[in-house]
Amino acid sequence: MTSLVHSLMPEAILVVAALLVLGLGVSWPGARTPITATALIGGFAAAAAILLFPLDANLLDGMVVLNPLARIFKLVILGLGLAAAVFASESFPKNHFAESLALILFSTVGMMLLAGTEDLLMIFLALELTSIPLYALAAFDKESRSSAEAGMKYFLIGSVSAAFLLYGLSLIYGVAGSTSLRAISQLSGPPDPLLIAGIVLAVAGFAFKVAAVPFQLWAPDVYEGAPTAAAALIASGSKVAGVFILAKLLTSGLGQWAGAAGWGEFQAGWAPVLALMAAASIVLGNVTALVQSNVKRLLAYSAIAHGGYLLLGLCSASADGLTAVLFYVVIYALTTAGAFGVVAVVEKQRGGARLDDFDGLAKSSPVLALCLLVFFISLAGIPPLAGFIGKFYLFTSALANGQHLWLVVVAVAMNAVSLYYYLIVLKHAFVLPAPDDIRPADAPASQALVAALALAVLVLGLAPNLLLVPLMKPDAGKGARSMPCCARGMIDPPPHLATKRFSAGAPGAGY
Amino acid sequence: MSSYLLLTVFLAIAIVFPLIPLAMAWAWARLFSPPKPGNDKQSSYECGIESAGPAHVQFQSHYYLYALIFLVFDVETVFLMPFASAFLHLPFSAFLALMVFMLLLLEGLVWAWAKGILAWK
Amino acid sequence: MILTATFLSAFAGAALILLLPERLAPLARGIALASALAGLAFAASAFAGYDRVGPHFQHLTQIPWIPSLGISFSTGADGISLVMLVLTGIIAVAGVLFSWNVSHRPRAFFAFYLTIIGGVYGVFQSFDIFLLFVFYEIVIIPKYFLIAAWGSTNREYGAMKLTIYSVAGSALVLLALIATYAASGAHSFDLFTLADPSKAHFTPSFQAWAFPVMFIGFAVLAGIWPLHTWAPTGHVAAPTAVSMLLAGVVMKLGSYSALRVAMTLFPQGLDQWRIPIAVLATAGIVFGALVALAQKDLKFTVGYSSIAHMGFVLLGLMTLNLAGLSGSVLQMFSHGIIGGLLFAVVGRMIYDRTHTRDIAELGTMNLSRSLPFAAFTFTVASVASMGLPGFSGFIAEFTILSGSWKAFPVLLIPAGIGVVITVAFTLRALQRTFFAPGEPQACAHPPAAITLPEKLGAALLMAATLLIGIHPSVLLTPILRSFESPLMKTVILEVTK
Repeated sequence: MTSLVHSLMPEAILVVAALLVLGLGVSWPGARTPITATALIGGFAAAAAILLFPLDANLLDGMVVLNPLARIFKLVILGLGLAAAVFASESFPKNHFAESLALILFSTVGMMLLAGTEDLLMIFLALELTSIPLYALAAFDKESRSSAEAGMKYFLIGSVSAAFLLYGLSLIYGVAGSTSLRAISQLSGPPDPLLIAGIVLAVAGFAFKVAAVPFQLWAPDVYEGAPTAAAALIASGSKVAGVFILAKLLTSGLGQWAGAAGWGEFQAGWAPVLALMAAASIVLGNVTALVQSNVKRLLAYSAIAHGGYLLLGLCSASADGLTAVLFYVVIYALTTAGAFGVVAVVEKQRGGARLDDFDGLAKSSPVLALCLLVFFISLAGIPPLAGFIGKFYLFTSALANGQHLWLVVVAVAMNAVSLYYYLIVLKHAFVLPAPDDIRPADAPASQALVAALALAVLVLGLAPNLLLVPLMKPDAGKGARSMPCCARGMIDPPPHLATKRFSAGAPGAGY
Repeated sequence: MSSYLLLTVFLAIAIVFPLIPLAMAWAWARLFSPPKPGNDKQSSYECGIESAGPAHVQFQSHYYLYALIFLVFDVETVFLMPFASAFLHLPFSAFLALMVFMLLLLEGLVWAWAKGILAWK
Repeated sequence: MILTATFLSAFAGAALILLLPERLAPLARGIALASALAGLAFAASAFAGYDRVGPHFQHLTQIPWIPSLGISFSTGADGISLVMLVLTGIIAVAGVLFSWNVSHRPRAFFAFYLTIIGGVYGVFQSFDIFLLFVFYEIVIIPKYFLIAAWGSTNREYGAMKLTIYSVAGSALVLLALIATYAASGAHSFDLFTLADPSKAHFTPSFQAWAFPVMFIGFAVLAGIWPLHTWAPTGHVAAPTAVSMLLAGVVMKLGSYSALRVAMTLFPQGLDQWRIPIAVLATAGIVFGALVALAQKDLKFTVGYSSIAHMGFVLLGLMTLNLAGLSGSVLQMFSHGIIGGLLFAVVGRMIYDRTHTRDIAELGTMNLSRSLPFAAFTFTVASVASMGLPGFSGFIAEFTILSGSWKAFPVLLIPAGIGVVITVAFTLRALQRTFFAPGEPQACAHPPAAITLPEKLGAALLMAATLLIGIHPSVLLTPILRSFESPLMKTVILEVTK
């Protein structure tokens, strides 16, 4: 019992902070600064709890799992939640401000719980705890019709996907007899049709979270309509948590039924499903982003495309691919959070987030424009920024077994296409002249945070080992295996993939 | 062949059987109680008082908040019941855990109260 | 260390310029000049300090960067690299001198400019192909902003076209790069490791597709026909210093990387694709020259002449004999200087003063009287571009043609025709712009005199091309020697085979 409390201490601290914020909001409604300060102090206390009291635990047969990897992701999620809180403090509507911060904190708690579990029931619970506050946050701006539309669409589509997910997870439970991923991974024999149905439904439910085609229809409207700080949290935090738990579910729990997705070498399993979704997302996301005129919508289609890149990394079902995906999702979350932060400040200053509202940003706010440059160039995958390293690692690991050349070709081609629309936004910011009447941006904390995020993206691009090495630390419990394997329960690659070498065109070519 | 005959007869009776009372009701209404509307007969019933104003009042969506809060506390009660029935066999830590649960919900109620949600507008 | 100082000084200069406050903005060009001079000094001293009898690759640095992917920060220089580094230094200094009059947002201009210079320095000294690709890509984005914000004709379209073509080429290279890493089995991006047949082996069928993908990807930036259409549009749209950089150095990035990476790693692929690429190169020479002949805009003429000259570079690369290869590297240097000089005259000296590039209109302005220095410089640049002996262009083109005589005698005919057409359009441009016959119209206001920075920049470039024209062994000896190294020797095809 006490170990349960100790293991969940960071989440408990955040919940207490959220309740304090609610209390403050009721007693002193107008005082935004003390409320934000309370939230931030709570967040830092939770971070301190994670850092100063590292604990390895596996409680209740996988319901609460703590190991170095989970701690890294909890810290990242916590950081993203606090970033969203800072952006919200300077850009959210004034009414019910404390409630919005509390919702952000509750959602962050849900994401942190997602990062620390290996049990189906807990996965669903944490996922719902993440999503429901986000539904409310998306609809928070009561004076905006598009915000109401965003909230409604997010809620309806999200609930239906959650229903699909639950049904899939329950089918998997029915076949396995237990909700823990460990027990599921130990199933033997040919896959039950019920199990296959369960896997497909579960992947569909998660694909909604990751905004992959064909479950991506909510993303553009929600990203555009929601208040920008909420969109920042949706784009960064829930994506990190969703990708992490999807990766864990597929590789830890369902690793044996991966199948293969090579051209002409399809084997049934979840990897071909992911490969097809990845290809469709990459193409659709990038091509549709070319014609957007609202930067938030453009970022939404870019998020769809990046969901595709992440699924591409998961297809290879290898430890290298897993590391690449986890590395890239963190990089992407930092970059997107920063990009939305810039959009939030510009929206406050210019009254909108259309392309024209970015005109002359380099003249009016040079630091902000430079940060925008860093974020968008990182999203486009140009060195020396972290986005390039991440994408390079993803593509390399996907090609390592020689199987996904077709998918990597599509991804590299679409990546080149994506530079066009990122450059269009940067053109408005750097090349076009500024309008004459501009208020100064009154958002110092957001600007400082955006600059810090840009610096982080640059530093991680020049020294990616800062993040890569912690992600790849071999688990002590696995003995002397030097293969990078991330956390407990991450699989060895299936035997038919482990020894295959790249041999395009010449079967059986000798080495 | 005979089984299909049986089914056909059964189907016919199944269709006819409910029609008989309907037909009887129609015949009775036609012959013994033809409709004779009148002012007092058509007015809406409001516990004996004369009704004033139109009957179509806009439904207040504010009702849903009460329904929501009711639902939350009803589910809390559902969780309390197994705890109560096993209360004597549970350690102190279980009591603490449930107290935390109840305090969380209590704070929700306090928040709702302070925000003025429970007051009818 | 001296090599890393080249790009570090460039990036440091860029960072310093960005930190300047608004009122100190005119200092930006001074800082840029200092940084460019420092880079040139480092490159030149590395060149001078190159031990002629020591190991082929000197000034080597190797620091592990991302060990899990086998990537290390690995730089060094041989003769070819040093020649290109010195070229970069010269063009960088000349470019800053010719941009001395930039008054619109100078800090951003020079910061972007120095970033490109830093990236170019980095490419020429990288021996880890991932590192080479990183520097290669760093160059792409500042180009867009420089052209779109400070350019002239059709600048937004030109900038976007140039950038998208460059990125498309890089995408091809990235694909080939990842496939190379996956197929080599050597878990390393180090060029020496990958080129060593005992450590990394590429099957002929793999090379058959990996080589053209990588070569074409690099060659897009070098302006290979028919993927060259970005170059004239982009160069015309660009401001002067950027045109000098683009035509002078950035196009050479493509051909250098093609030589250094694609040709050394995939010799069998090279063998299969040699003739088609040589044909494309010759087509570039001929078509570039023909189209230049038809231009009415002086800058477009110079832009298309760049395509023609780069065709020579690519043809020389495909000859696979010592003469052609060394001529190709020398032509990279030579055309870098000459192209830079041509764009400088057209952009800075003429366009900034007359605001027109139309040859017919310029002919009426009696420029040989009002801008004698410009006339002199353009004449020198034109004769050098035509390949007159005494200037570097002659040595370079002659060696390439003699190399191609040994390898592709048939292609020598169109190449020779290309040379003749080059002479034709260059003389036509020179004569009609500066020395047009007929009555010159009286100018309302005479153009401003040529300023000192312009004269210094022009002098630097003219001296470089003259020096190499008279004493080519300064460059040729290190170049020839570098083809004896085990890495580059694989590129040369034995004639006796």
